[in-house]
Amino acid sequence: MILVVAEHREGKLNRATLETIAAAQSAGSPVKVAVLGSGVDGVAKELAAADVAEVLTIDDAALKEYTADGFVLALEQLIGRENPERVFLPHTYQTRDFAPALAARVKRPLVTDCVAVKGNGYVRPMFQGKMQADVAVEGPHMATFQIGAFRADAMKSGGSAQVKPASVSIDASKIRQKPEAPFKEAKQAVDLSQAERIVSVGRGIKGQEHLQLAQQLAQAMGAELAASRPICDAGWLPMDRQIGSSGQTVAPKLYVALGISGAIQHLVGMKGSRTIVAINKDPEAPIFEIADYGIAGDLFEVVPAMIAELNK
Amino acid sequence: MADRETLEVDVLIVGGGPAGMAAALRLAQLQKAKGGEPLAIAVLEKAREVGAHMLSGAVLDPSTLAELIPDFKAKGAPLATEVQRDDIYFLTRTGKFRLPITPPFFQNHGNYIISLNRFVKWLGGLVEAEGIDIFTGFPATEVLFDAATGAEQEARVAGVRTGDRGIDKHGQKKSTFEPGVDIRAKVTIFMDGVRGNLTKSLVRQLGLDENRSPQVYAIGIKELWEVPAGRTEPGRVVHTMGYPLKMEEFGGGFMYSLHDNLVSLGLVTGLDYRDPMFDPHVSFQHLKRHPLVASMLQGASLVRYGAKALPEGGWYTVPRLYAAGALIGGDAAGFMNSARLKGIHLAMRSGMLAAETAFEAIGKGDTSAAALKVYEDRVNASAIRKELYPVRNVHQAFGYGSLAGAMFTGLSLFTGGWWFRDPLPAHGGWTRIEKLTEYYKDARPDSDATVNPVKIDRQLTFDRLTGVHYSGTRHPEDQPSHLIVHDASVCATRCREEYGNPCIRFCPANVYEMVDDGTGRKKLQINASNCVHCKTCDIMDPYQIIDWVPPEGGGGPQYEGM
Repeated sequence: MILVVAEHREGKLNRATLETIAAAQSAGSPVKVAVLGSGVDGVAKELAAADVAEVLTIDDAALKEYTADGFVLALEQLIGRENPERVFLPHTYQTRDFAPALAARVKRPLVTDCVAVKGNGYVRPMFQGKMQADVAVEGPHMATFQIGAFRADAMKSGGSAQVKPASVSIDASKIRQKPEAPFKEAKQAVDLSQAERIVSVGRGIKGQEHLQLAQQLAQAMGAELAASRPICDAGWLPMDRQIGSSGQTVAPKLYVALGISGAIQHLVGMKGSRTIVAINKDPEAPIFEIADYGIAGDLFEVVPAMIAELNK
Repeated sequence: MADRETLEVDVLIVGGGPAGMAAALRLAQLQKAKGGEPLAIAVLEKAREVGAHMLSGAVLDPSTLAELIPDFKAKGAPLATEVQRDDIYFLTRTGKFRLPITPPFFQNHGNYIISLNRFVKWLGGLVEAEGIDIFTGFPATEVLFDAATGAEQEARVAGVRTGDRGIDKHGQKKSTFEPGVDIRAKVTIFMDGVRGNLTKSLVRQLGLDENRSPQVYAIGIKELWEVPAGRTEPGRVVHTMGYPLKMEEFGGGFMYSLHDNLVSLGLVTGLDYRDPMFDPHVSFQHLKRHPLVASMLQGASLVRYGAKALPEGGWYTVPRLYAAGALIGGDAAGFMNSARLKGIHLAMRSGMLAAETAFEAIGKGDTSAAALKVYEDRVNASAIRKELYPVRNVHQAFGYGSLAGAMFTGLSLFTGGWWFRDPLPAHGGWTRIEKLTEYYKDARPDSDATVNPVKIDRQLTFDRLTGVHYSGTRHPEDQPSHLIVHDASVCATRCREEYGNPCIRFCPANVYEMVDDGTGRKKLQINASNCVHCKTCDIMDPYQIIDWVPPEGGGGPQYEGM
């Protein structure tokens, strides 16, 4: 049995959870999903639509806010009771915070940042992605999955899993961390170079009011929004979202250029992207010279269709 | 906030080009010959490094160099390519006719094809070896004056103020703010290049252009190409006339073959054209598609791009060259021979003469206007006047068309430039541009389109933005625009109607754009960080409301090898 640990914030599911469920489904054996928190019925119900065996909830006031101690205490008991062969987690900041402690507590190996499941083992990148290693694990273990390695829309749904509260008791006095109210990231903190996917807009977007279209596409893809210089010059997006010679240099897995002609100043900032998709009205636009997939068309027709397809 | 610092020197040279470097070297020589307490000398240069903003064709007449540095060869002057052959072609759209003889003005025997960037870097090394400080990355933004005293009639030039650093795009001080420095000098030598921002303000404030003809400029767009091995003939100089320019337009192309399979290619066009839709950058692309040039560039790759204005007006446009505490030389003074297409040697000559004058004046303790007038007398007695006076009416004659200009130039050889009217009537170049309705009458073109479009194939032809990339231009984005349009409301209304926004065409670097303002109308957008410092907008805008001021120090092109 594979136990997937879901991640959510204030009732909103992190899409990486769906990717991790997809990973578990591809690995084959029955999948159960654990949801931790306080008042998690909504999230649990949402997850029950996935093709999984069971959704286990740990609903406790002590878990209202995330703490590493709280999660370790709760999951330690749950793993002890359910005894899954594998525990899968999305490789998020939150997972990185508690998973090592949990692995130590339950005395299981932890394989991090996996991009694929290979038999009983995993594939994970090494040397900043320059090589990939096949990792073999013996016995019960835990694994985390790189964001974007599996597709959320590849998750099989249509199941009607039972939502079952797991009887776990948490001694709140053992939680040492006292979380402060969450704060917004500093304004300059957008690090586009870390983004797995980027939706980038150029002059073809025509007006600031159309940016939300690109935003919707970015959301549907789990991508960051970025732009070429004219957009940031016009103040439609902050300067720290500018890609190119006077902005950031990025190399995401997927770069979707909307209405970007492909001035060389822009290309030097993104040509290292693994897959480049360009949508531009002008079939002669230089962006098509480096695009892997090009759509010579009106982005105002193409993008809504993409969003509709992605949201299916 | 840090207080403004003041630096006191004896001689301040503003601008580290061939004129400024020659002035600094000459001062060092005079100092050595005289001995005693050395003068404090400083050279200000806005580029990040010496030579980075230098752009020229360039064919160098080594006459001044040989006087200033007789052992220039032993000192390693970068003059690898001596001119071997001169050709002039008259081009039609697809055809070419080689002139059977090369007119004397175009004969380059004994001259060298150089990279002005390399040449000035080399000069800069010699200057620094003399212990003279070259402050790179420091543009001067203001001329400092002291009130007139004693017998002086005019305010006295006391030095310059350098630009502030660390101001954001809204004009607010950033945490890195540093105020500019006041550099005060006994003599300030203004050699800030063609349409230098300080010379421009000095000439205006003191009326130094009184009784002079207005300066007329041209814009040169140049590219450096690396061509397949064996195709070039190093030392070959080709000049073209005719296509892609109209007969009414002044200018021509050049193609110089250097060593290492490099070709220096460019088009110079007069900034006194009539057609408001004229586009120098598009014309240059047409030149590259002409068989004469295209055959050279087949399979070649673009190395660098740049543009710069040239002073074409000649002798009658040279302003008064001195004021109390100040001298003017080089391109800033207009020392360029538009018949020979050369000015580096004249710029260097004026640098030497300015240095000699400043050195003597400081020695005598008199740097008044009367004492510094000696410089103008020296220029008048020098090879500068000897060369420029006979061709004093040449550019103005081109105002009557290329044919008239060419004939007049030839005639000047025999007449010494004399004509029934002397000086020939002269107009500021920007006054000749015609309104769309005058030039095109009823066939008014769409001002957002190009009248004579060229296919951008990204092999031979490129758009402006790609050019900017190849110019190596960099400016920190978060600073105020250094192109000041005093009344941008004119752009979307009057200028659009009357001239169709010529700025979007004459700027070779895509600085000016008319973009939708969201209400279906257009508004001006200034992409200041694209600016290659050519000064064309400051010169050519029909309303004379654009001021080019220096950006934060160090910004601008990187003309390596140009």
